Amino acid sequence: MTVSGHSPESVPAGRLAARFVWTLPQNILILLLKGYRKAVSPLYGQVCRFFPSCSAYALEAVTVHGAVKGTWLAGRRLARCHPWNEGGVDHVPSSPAFEEKLREDPSLTPRILVLNHPVIPADDDGRAAV
Amino acid sequence: MDFINAILTPFTWVVSWIMWAFHEGFSWLGMDPANGWTWTFSIIGLVLVIRAALIPVFVKQIKAQRGMQALQPDLRKLQQKYKGKTDQLSRQAMTQEQMALYKKHGTNPFSACLPLLIQMPFFFALFNVLNNTARASDNNEGIGALTPEDIRQFDESSIFGAPLSASLLHGGGGENQVAVVVLSIIMILAMTASQFITQKQIMAKNMSEEALASPFMRQQQMMLYILPLVFGIGGINFPIGVLIYWTTTNLWTMAQQFIVIRRMPTPGSPAAKALAERRAKKGLPMVPLLGEKKTEEPAVEAPAGPKVQRQQPQRKNRKKK
Repeated sequence: MTVSGHSPESVPAGRLAARFVWTLPQNILILLLKGYRKAVSPLYGQVCRFFPSCSAYALEAVTVHGAVKGTWLAGRRLARCHPWNEGGVDHVPSSPAFEEKLREDPSLTPRILVLNHPVIPADDDGRAAV
Repeated sequence: MDFINAILTPFTWVVSWIMWAFHEGFSWLGMDPANGWTWTFSIIGLVLVIRAALIPVFVKQIKAQRGMQALQPDLRKLQQKYKGKTDQLSRQAMTQEQMALYKKHGTNPFSACLPLLIQMPFFFALFNVLNNTARASDNNEGIGALTPEDIRQFDESSIFGAPLSASLLHGGGGENQVAVVVLSIIMILAMTASQFITQKQIMAKNMSEEALASPFMRQQQMMLYILPLVFGIGGINFPIGVLIYWTTTNLWTMAQQFIVIRRMPTPGSPAAKALAERRAKKGLPMVPLLGEKKTEEPAVEAPAGPKVQRQQPQRKNRKKK
């Protein structure tokens, strides 16, 4: 699956239109997920037993893997989120194609990717322990 | 609409079958099959079955919450590490570390969305059954396991003069619409009151001081104001039959919470102190609370009474040398 394109280089109008149609489902999903995370998630706070939460996982999956594979991955995560699963840290599998794209232009890194993969500070940073 | 109906069909069958079974049972016991109370008790029976089936999920959740007690020291260390770092990325890093910690201890305070999601199709299926009785009755159709005859009976039955299939906003009460309005409002108030009492009980009695200061509280407080709104809006739209289901399930939650707070309170909460005092008054030994460290329990071991030197048995006819 392709990823949303905001490439700065000029491309023919025909290809631009084709890309718009091709990435439309993905962009609609991203918009819906962002809306959900803005409006609905804050209402009941943290309920998910995973990091990242199910909606953050879904947003990253759709952004990185596209509409079809992203939805499949998000669906599988939802199925894992039940009281008999111990939860924990569960990241979206990486997409080589998307990583390649980011290597070419790091400024395209979506915010959700930064939020879902925070840098964990070292345990002992000079602060008095306990 | 057809797609949703297709998904709901198996749930509609389960719900309608349980109701049908209760209705048959009550009729067999001598209650009038066409009476509104027979149908009301059938709905209440349905609630009892569904809620009883959900008890294991609830117990599992309580155990997970109590398991939290064991990892408090680690959690405090983590809070210390991220003290003063309030930017979004640090919060995210802290959440990730916290989740890894829960996993390490094999416990997780978050219930996940499943218990909530599991109840949804049953509720919608019931709504489907109760909401469609009027139409099905007109067309002489059955719904799920309920025969056309059952549906006709249900549609025509009433309690206190209010038909079970009528609602405050959408009518259907005919001459007795006043009874529908009064009954709907009473049940909305009952649902709000039971919700309020449940919440107050948890906050006043069953939370340790640490938990009271945590961000979970914001969420709890929010529910206190949102749910009555939901009950109010739903209450005027839904038929009496759905409201009976809803009110009963709310009362169940309240009773369940009451039993949990009394019998297995959160360690360190006022309810835990009350339980310890009650047991001490009766002279019963302390029991370890769920999630408490095992090393804490032998401190108040049952006293063995005044120590008496045991007489050594001696053979009377011991030969003396």
